Amino acid sequence: MLISASEAGYFQQLARGAVITMELAVSGYILALIGGAVVGLVTLLPNRAIQAVWRVYASIVMGVPSLLVIFLFYYGGGTLLGGIIDITPFEAGLTALVVVYTVYVAELVRGAMRNVPRGQFEATAALAIRPVGAWLHVIMPQVVRLALPGLVNIWMIVLKDTALVSLAGLNDLVSHAKTAAGATKEPFIFFIAAALFFVVFSAVTLRFSARLEARFGRGLAVAKA
Amino acid sequence: MPFDPSLAWDSLPRMLFGLANTVGITALTLVLGLAMAIPVTLARMSPRRIFRLPAAWFVMFFRGTPALILMYLVYYGLAQLPSIHDGPLWPIFANAFACAVIGLALNHASYLVEILRGGLEAVPAGLVEASAALGISPRQTYQWVRLPLAMRYALKAYQNEVIGFTKGTAVVGVITVVDLTATANEVFERTYDPVTPMLTAAVLYWCLINLMRIGFEFADRRLNRHLAAEEQRRRKPVAASLQPALARWTGLAAPNTERAL
Repeated sequence: MLISASEAGYFQQLARGAVITMELAVSGYILALIGGAVVGLVTLLPNRAIQAVWRVYASIVMGVPSLLVIFLFYYGGGTLLGGIIDITPFEAGLTALVVVYTVYVAELVRGAMRNVPRGQFEATAALAIRPVGAWLHVIMPQVVRLALPGLVNIWMIVLKDTALVSLAGLNDLVSHAKTAAGATKEPFIFFIAAALFFVVFSAVTLRFSARLEARFGRGLAVAKA
Repeated sequence: MPFDPSLAWDSLPRMLFGLANTVGITALTLVLGLAMAIPVTLARMSPRRIFRLPAAWFVMFFRGTPALILMYLVYYGLAQLPSIHDGPLWPIFANAFACAVIGLALNHASYLVEILRGGLEAVPAGLVEASAALGISPRQTYQWVRLPLAMRYALKAYQNEVIGFTKGTAVVGVITVVDLTATANEVFERTYDPVTPMLTAAVLYWCLINLMRIGFEFADRRLNRHLAAEEQRRRKPVAASLQPALARWTGLAAPNTERAL
């Protein structure tokens, strides 16, 4: 299939859309990471009220499609804020992604914290390592190692979920691909191009995460053999 | 919050119809996805490159692509290819509902391949070698040793994937299939009330997802019933002694009885 001059123009638009997609995915992921780490630690506090509220909230957020959350923030956001501010698609999408994936990250952090062997806590106590040092140098590196595969997984899901924000009117990669497909009557090539963008990024992610996992698991390799 | 209960009640029959469509798409995708995943898994685990490589590409492409783009690709993209448009399968690809199921099933199958492979590879080699030493045929070993164990190992990952793609079915609205999310959108467009239909749909999704979760937990208990006693024995003392250790260091403590959501 040959690409004509007008189609090349559409591919430039696609590239501009891809930048927006990446901005949304990266900012959403970083905010969810920070929010999830904080919420995950706070909800481990031995407080019944916090536990109960968290269980209900997490169940609600995890039981609803993220597309619905995006629509709710985009169409309903103005109403919920009393109609004072108009919400842009980017803001609505970013808010929805952060709200949803903060919960997933928090659950992951909670699970990782609980899976650090208790002997590690006892060992730091026995060696009289100060709490701050124990957390920085003993516990946290293990939490990161345990949570890493899940965090990579969440990044891939966030990246793919940014495609949904095009349905709330964001001019990202997917919406440009759709426009180009409609205008040129060549839908196949533009949708394949959009798909390949996501495929390449997840392949790059897998490469990168394999190296990260090797780095964080470096203490384990010796013991296992 | 501007939630209108009477509108929610009036729109409920339509919403339930949308929910029925969502459930139908989910069920068909489950079956078709599994049917696609089994041969691809076998190819992916084959010692021959000629089978292994295409299967790996299949997984990489369909796993990496968002379901939304797959919808567009199957419904709009394939219609452009003469071999599809003039071929015998055109009645299927001209149907939005069928395209939605095919697109989602390709996505689901690619995840399923990795889950099945993970489960099968987690079966300890010693068990398979023991069956061979006992003169049990490879086919029977597969049927009675590897598969039952692989199912147990893979169940949790399968649950996550099924629940994930059930929520992902919300995108089928873009190719004119009227599922629950699309129904909520229709109600919004007619009434200009975004909050009520979206929240009603959210409640229905929540019920569906949690029903599925309960079903999976039932299956988990059934498949792992031989572990139940040990699990109880193991969980209590560890959790109890973890609590003070954590609390001493941080003021944080691990809640011990809670199950992952």
